[in-house]
Amino acid sequence: MSTTNPQSEAPDEGGSPAGDPARRARVRRRSKHRRRLANVAGLMTALVLTGALYSVFAPAQAADDTTESAAEAAGRELYQRSCITCHGSNLEGVPNRGPSLIGVGEASVYFQVHTGRMPLVRQEADAHTKPTIFSDEEIDQLMAYVQANGGGPTLPSGDLRDGDLAEGGELFRLNCASCHNFVGEGGALSSGKSAPSLENASDLEIYTAMLTGPENMPVFGDNQLTPDEKRSIINYVQTVKEQADPGGAGIGRIGPVSEGLVIWVVGIGALLFGIFWMGSKA
Amino acid sequence: MAARTTHAPGAPTTRLGQAGYELDDRIIVAPWLRRTLNKVYPDHWSFLLGEIALYSFIILLLSGTYLTFFFDASMREVVYDGSYAPLRGVEVSAAYDSALRLSFDVRGGLFMRQLHHWAALLFVAAIVVHLLRIFFTGAFRRPRETNWILGVTMLVLALLMGVTGYSLPDDLLSGTGLRIISAILLSVPVIGTWAHFAVFNGDYVGEQIIGRFYIVHVLLIPAILLALIGLHLLILVKQKHTQFPGAGRTEHNVVGNRLFPTFAAKATGLVFVVFGVCALLGGLVQINPVWLWGPYNPAQVSAFSQPDWYIGFLDGSTRIFPPWDINLPGDYTIPALFWPTVVVAGLMFTVLALYPIIERKLTGDTASHHLLQRPRDVPVRTSVGAMALAFYLWLMIAGGNDVIADKFDISLNAMTWVGRIGIVILPPIVYVLTYRICLGLQQHDREILEHGIETGVIRRLPSGEFIEVHQPLGPVDSHGHGTLAYGGAPVPKRMNHIGAARRAIRGFFKPVEEPAQVDLEQLNEIREFPAGEESRELSPSGRPADSGRPQEPRD
Amino acid sequence: MSTRDTRPGSTGGADVPGPLYGGPDDDYTPEQLAAMSREDLDRLGAHYDGVEILHVDPGPAPGSVMEKRAVRQVGLVFALAGVFAFLFVVVYVGSGWFLPDWHWQITESGWSALFTPLLGLCMGLAMALVGIGLVLFTKKLLPHETAVQDKHDGSHFDRVTAGATLVGGYHNSGLARRKLITRSLGFMAGGLGLMLIMPLGGLIKNPNKGDPLGTTEWAKGVRLVRNDGTPIRPGDQQPGSLETVFPAVPGGNRQADAATMLIRLRPEQLAENKPRQGQADFAYGEYVAFSKICTHAGCPVSLYEQETSRILCPCHQSQFDVTQGAKPVFGPAARPLPQLPLDVDDEGYFVAASDYIEAVGPTYWNRERI
Repeated sequence: MSTTNPQSEAPDEGGSPAGDPARRARVRRRSKHRRRLANVAGLMTALVLTGALYSVFAPAQAADDTTESAAEAAGRELYQRSCITCHGSNLEGVPNRGPSLIGVGEASVYFQVHTGRMPLVRQEADAHTKPTIFSDEEIDQLMAYVQANGGGPTLPSGDLRDGDLAEGGELFRLNCASCHNFVGEGGALSSGKSAPSLENASDLEIYTAMLTGPENMPVFGDNQLTPDEKRSIINYVQTVKEQADPGGAGIGRIGPVSEGLVIWVVGIGALLFGIFWMGSKA
Repeated sequence: MAARTTHAPGAPTTRLGQAGYELDDRIIVAPWLRRTLNKVYPDHWSFLLGEIALYSFIILLLSGTYLTFFFDASMREVVYDGSYAPLRGVEVSAAYDSALRLSFDVRGGLFMRQLHHWAALLFVAAIVVHLLRIFFTGAFRRPRETNWILGVTMLVLALLMGVTGYSLPDDLLSGTGLRIISAILLSVPVIGTWAHFAVFNGDYVGEQIIGRFYIVHVLLIPAILLALIGLHLLILVKQKHTQFPGAGRTEHNVVGNRLFPTFAAKATGLVFVVFGVCALLGGLVQINPVWLWGPYNPAQVSAFSQPDWYIGFLDGSTRIFPPWDINLPGDYTIPALFWPTVVVAGLMFTVLALYPIIERKLTGDTASHHLLQRPRDVPVRTSVGAMALAFYLWLMIAGGNDVIADKFDISLNAMTWVGRIGIVILPPIVYVLTYRICLGLQQHDREILEHGIETGVIRRLPSGEFIEVHQPLGPVDSHGHGTLAYGGAPVPKRMNHIGAARRAIRGFFKPVEEPAQVDLEQLNEIREFPAGEESRELSPSGRPADSGRPQEPRD
Repeated sequence: MSTRDTRPGSTGGADVPGPLYGGPDDDYTPEQLAAMSREDLDRLGAHYDGVEILHVDPGPAPGSVMEKRAVRQVGLVFALAGVFAFLFVVVYVGSGWFLPDWHWQITESGWSALFTPLLGLCMGLAMALVGIGLVLFTKKLLPHETAVQDKHDGSHFDRVTAGATLVGGYHNSGLARRKLITRSLGFMAGGLGLMLIMPLGGLIKNPNKGDPLGTTEWAKGVRLVRNDGTPIRPGDQQPGSLETVFPAVPGGNRQADAATMLIRLRPEQLAENKPRQGQADFAYGEYVAFSKICTHAGCPVSLYEQETSRILCPCHQSQFDVTQGAKPVFGPAARPLPQLPLDVDDEGYFVAASDYIEAVGPTYWNRERI
């Protein structure tokens, strides 16, 4: 190929014929342009040829040759941005970082992402709820992606409070109260973990939590707690949460700890004030 | 003012007076009445703490009687069918059912239940505060050891009342406690299983326990408590109340108010104030919402299960005690649960009850004492008491360690270890700290007596040195040091304690006197000693009889 | 005091004063007492009770500004107390009549939630204001009196004479030398005491007879059922789940010691499962069943952490490792949870292969012997 340095043009052969310097320069410039054009054209041709050859001979994509829906595609993109570091490129999980998502289903994704637990900030005893990073639409997309590529429990439909209130209470006290407390105030688990308060939990969050058993919570499959029974439990929890306290200030509804605090601080405090006033000082 | 006479000199003229005479004709009450009305009671504020306990007991009796009209102490299974929808159709015991009915279907029933429960918490709290006052001021010394033992006995009985009482509704929270009581009975070596079977009429849970708790709670222990309270008060009245050292107070007198009308009026006022506090809490703050806990089921439990506060120390000791089962030859076991429950509680209350005797043996002090001691003047006792209190409070905190772990985001396992380590190292630290503080306070008292009160007035001596002017409290010796001995009474530490400031102007929202007028009044008082002004008498301590403090302002 | 005419059957008459009482009545005649002022009589009586009035700070002067203020204040406080008391009555009686109904409704707020607080507020304020009014009255309107009362030591005379009476009576009874009576008295006392407390023996039950503490309703072939009575197949539970199961006998779900936890282990848990010695065949595949009753103090253990394989007891924080035969790994429990041997019957439902092989629940003295 010709040199690229226009300055390093070989001078014309020997004693040049008559041609004034201007004309010689013009001739030189024209040939320089032509050479450039030829270079570019040659480059382009080579590139196009290479690309065409590649697309003809390159192997087909290993994963799927079935078409994915728009939601799944968008979900894949979200996944690869936010989840892949801990959960692996194919949902297989990464040792000591994140579990496999094969079989967790869209219900699991909904619970974890909608409560803000995922993406996890750091590895610690508990995944805490935090403000959600993803919008509802993005969550739907992630759900679609994970469900399509791993399968698992799906979201329920219909009224999630459509169950027997009293039966829900019985089931809640038998299965849930030991970790989450009589009325869902939450509870302490071993070594820094805790079962969260249900105060801010929506119907669907409670349902999907029962269904998928997030982190240390046991799994309550549909053969163990039927969908009707789950609805009863949700009805009970949400009703009790919203109901008034007929006896006055609820003081946390956790029983004797707060009651003891109140009697000492308010009761004995008020009475001490009273007897200071009534009696004499030394 | 001479009383007018009609028939005979001194005969009554009013109907009431005549009625009084008629009464005395039949039962000669006048001597007793006059003696009682004239009885003098010291009126330091800390002497009213026992009264708070007494009045809350009366409230408990009254509200408790109301509750018995509605409660059904039976463990028979019934189906709840009342107003509270989330429990409708659930199988519960008749006791739980009656508690729910009282709360939701009886007008004002929930208020009475809550009043009763708050008064119970207050009852025990008041006993504890009262016990602390008796302990730290040395009021348990001879001749009052019997009253001390009676008091500790009543404290234990109050705890038992509380446990049997809150277990009666048979809800999930108290039922969990019942299970633990069963385990504690079982854990006693040799006789544990026999004791359990006697109390529960067989294996846990049986069908008798609620009924038995009921009769213990409404009949047996209240009867014993009433008798002991009567005895406690009788001894108190007979021995006369103790008093703090001060002007005119000796081991052989009592200074204060006569029963009638001042002391009786104040005591009656306290009755109503205690009732008022219980009623306010009973309505405004929810307590023991058994409908939220649900009925007791031995297969169910809730996170954050604690007993009432006064049993919290036992919950704490049980949580932190290590899993030390003792396996004896012959395949016998002393369960680990025995030590933090039966032994800890037994030792605590035994040492508490015998404390006067222990202290008497250790100090060799066998004299009678009617004057109290300031806690700083007995640093060893005060430090021992602070140490015991720290031990007790630490156990109570350990009893709520899961609540603390959850609310403050601390590892539950770490809380257990904190409890275990703290219970060993904290009490000695508290002992040493308290001892040093007591000594420091004592030294400060002696220093003021010796050098006088710091007035804050700076004076420059001709030599150029700056000194602070001190106001001596009494006569000084040739070196300028005070010669007053410490008398066990509080030493004035500031100038306004010795009357150097003008007395408070009367009037709460706006003054009702002119300051200038008051100044004039005080100036005249200092210049002359009007006859009959006994309050200006100097007592042997060199201070005016009423310690020179400004008269209690009328507002 | 005696009547004039004491013959039986007589109608008596007016009382004639008897002999004087003695003591102060000797020192002061009624005429002298009548001549004294009320205040002087008060002090005189107090003097006889050993009480000296040291100092009286009189109440506010009648008609003065201060007195008027104090009277107004105390009166207002009492009146306010009455107002609140009547308000209590109004709220109590009127609810459901001219006020909204007090019965509880599932509402966030509303009268049913205000009824009890209003009752408490009204009664509390009424009572407290009465008390405050009384104390204000003593502080502002009563004279402030400082009194001193003497304490007396015991009377030597009384001790000696009382002692003489007691000892004399005892001496006269001759019991000291009548040994037969004292001994038979002692014997009688022992017997009587024993006899009186003997009926309490009805409370005593033998805990070793039939070993009720060491056995439960579980037995070979008894099905595992849920709280509602339905039997359970393998496969009903997901891996990483816990279900509370009861024996399929009448009243099985009310038995205090029969509640059992049926756990389906996850593959990772199964891989590291190390059952207790001799209990490897108690599991059924990846299913294990442990007693729900904590071996520490009897609470239902319940809190299953499926990732850490721990079951936490909420009462005193004992933790049991499910992959080590429910051995306690933290907390005050010293014994592992007993394991229920599992099997499956012909219809494919879970059954127990036998009862628990050790006592369920808290440890007791002779647990290992029965």
